[in-house]
Amino acid sequence: MSDEVVLEVRNLTCRFGGLYAVDNVSFQVRRGEIFGLIGPNGAGKTTVFNLITGMTPPMHGEVFYKGVNITSKRPHEIAMLGIARTFQNIRLFGALTALENVMIARHIHTRSGMIEGVFGLPPAPQEERAIRQRAMELLELVGLADSAEMQARNFSYGDQRRLEIARALALEPELLLLDEPAAGMNQNEKSALSAFIRRVREQFNLTIVLIEHYVPLVMGLCDRIAVLNFGQLIALGAPEKVQNDPAVIEAYLGD
Amino acid sequence: MEGFLSTYGSAIVQMALAGVLALSLYLPLMAGQLSLASPGFYAVGGYVAALLSTRVFTGFPNGSYPILLIALEMVVAGGVSALFALIIGIPSLRLRGVYLALATIAFVEVLRVFALNQPWLGGAVGIYNIPQPFFSATRVEYLLLALPLLLVSTLFVARLERSRIGRAFVALREDELAASAMGIRPTYYKVLAFTIGAVLAGMTGALNAHILNTWNPRQGTFDLAILILAYVLVGGSRTFLGPVIGGAFLVALPEIILREVADAPGLHPAIATFLRDGRLILFGVLIAVSVFFFPYGLVTPNLFKRRRKTNVPRLEAAKAAPKVSRG
Repeated sequence: MSDEVVLEVRNLTCRFGGLYAVDNVSFQVRRGEIFGLIGPNGAGKTTVFNLITGMTPPMHGEVFYKGVNITSKRPHEIAMLGIARTFQNIRLFGALTALENVMIARHIHTRSGMIEGVFGLPPAPQEERAIRQRAMELLELVGLADSAEMQARNFSYGDQRRLEIARALALEPELLLLDEPAAGMNQNEKSALSAFIRRVREQFNLTIVLIEHYVPLVMGLCDRIAVLNFGQLIALGAPEKVQNDPAVIEAYLGD
Repeated sequence: MEGFLSTYGSAIVQMALAGVLALSLYLPLMAGQLSLASPGFYAVGGYVAALLSTRVFTGFPNGSYPILLIALEMVVAGGVSALFALIIGIPSLRLRGVYLALATIAFVEVLRVFALNQPWLGGAVGIYNIPQPFFSATRVEYLLLALPLLLVSTLFVARLERSRIGRAFVALREDELAASAMGIRPTYYKVLAFTIGAVLAGMTGALNAHILNTWNPRQGTFDLAILILAYVLVGGSRTFLGPVIGGAFLVALPEIILREVADAPGLHPAIATFLRDGRLILFGVLIAVSVFFFPYGLVTPNLFKRRRKTNVPRLEAAKAAPKVSRG
C-alpha cells in the first residue's frame, strides 16, 4: 500500500427531504487499500457509493479521484475514469447471458462504431473476438465459465454477485466499489469471497472500497474501516481500533 | 401464382413495408425507449418524395419515372427524417416510458396539423399525381424497391444487434443505471437508436408515396402508430425478426389470409360472408388473443438458441442425485 490518495471524499452531504442520508462525511482511500464502509441499516453507506459514482448529486461536498474533482461528473464519465461498482440490489442485465453481461462492460475499452459493427470492418471483428475472450477469462476467474450462456436472472444469488464482480472487473477499474458482496452467500461462499477479493486486488492492482454487514469478513479483510451511523462518520481506522471504539459499540448495540 | 400476385400484389408490397416500419419502432425499443414517432418520420419521408418527384424531378412521362430517382428520394427522405429525429430526440428522450410515448404522439399530431395548413404541401388534399415508374394496376413491381429496402434494413438491424453499439442499446433497455455505470452514455445511444429508426420510417414513407400515387395529412397518423406497435408486440420485441414477421403477418392476415379462407370451397356461405365482411373485427380479436397467449410475441430469441450448456448442469445433477441418496 502506498500513501497516494486514490479517492477523497470531502464534507459530503446528501439530504432526502428532511433526512440527512449522508452528513458531512470525509475520508481518504489510499492506493492498494481494502477500505471497509460499515454501519447499521440506513446509515448511508450505499448513498456514499451513489455520490461517488455520480448517481446521486450531493448537496454539499466534493469527491476527488486521483486528485481530480469528479463531483459533478455523470455516471458514465466516472466509469470511464476507472471507477467500477457493484450494486446492493443486484443490477445485472437479467434477460442477457452471463457472457453478454460481461461483454457489455468492455464498452469503454473498444471503439468500433455503428458502421464498423454492421459491415464487419476493422477494428470491429478483432475487437469482437477480444471482447469475447476477455469476458470468458473473467467468467473463468469468478468460476462461472460453465454457465456463460445462461441468462443472468437464472443464477443463484451468490452467483449473481460474482457475475456483477466479473462485469465490474471488465471495466479494468483502478478503484472497485463493492456494495455488500457477501449478501445472500452461504458461510462457505463468504469465506471463499474474502480470499477472492484479496486475490483480485493483487491480480488487477486494485483499490477496493466495500460495504459489508458481515463483521468477520470486514474485520479479516479490510486494512481500514469507516463506520457510518445516521449519515455521520463516527469512527475511522484499523479494524482492531474501530472494533473497540465506544461510539461504534453503541451504534451497533444501542445503550 | 400469376393470379395470386395480380390479386394481392399491393398487399405483398405493403407486407414488406410494414416490416420496415416495425423495425423503425423496434430500434428505439431496443434501447428501452417506447417511441411512437415512426408515423411522423414516415409522413415526412412521403412529403419529401412527393415534393421532389412533382416539383424537382419533372419532365418524365408517367410510367417511366426512373427507379434510381425513387431510390435517391428515399435517401434524401432518410436524411431529412434523421435531421428531424435529432431535433425531436435530444430534448424528448429525457422523458421515460409513457411520457416519451405521449411526446412522440404529440410530434406526429403536430406534423399532421402542420401539413393540413400548408398550401405548399397541398393542405388537406395533399400532393397527388406522384409519378409512377411502371404501368401497373397491382403495384407488384414495387417489390423491386420494397424487398431490397426490407432486406437491407433487416440485415442492418440483425448485424447491429450483435455489435458493440447494439449491446449498448440492449444494456440501456435492461437497466439504464447499470449501463451508465458500465460507461455507456445513455443520451447518445438513445438518440442514435431513435435516429436510425427515423431513417427507416422516412425511407418507407418516400417509397409508399409513389406506390399510393398521392400523399396527404392522413398518411402517417396516430392510427398507424398503434398499428406499428401491434406489428412489434405481436411479432416479438426481443429480436429483429419479430417486427419483420409481425408486420408481414398482420398485413397479410386481413388482406390475404382471411380473404383466402373465406373463398375456400365448401364453406358455409354465412361463415364466408362473415369472414369477408367482418375480417377487421377478426383481425382485432386475433391481435388481442395473440398478445394474451404470446406475451413476448410470436418470435422470441429463445427459438434460435440451441439447447446449450444451460441444460447440462441440471442433467448432471439429476444423474448425481441417486448416488448421493445411496451414500
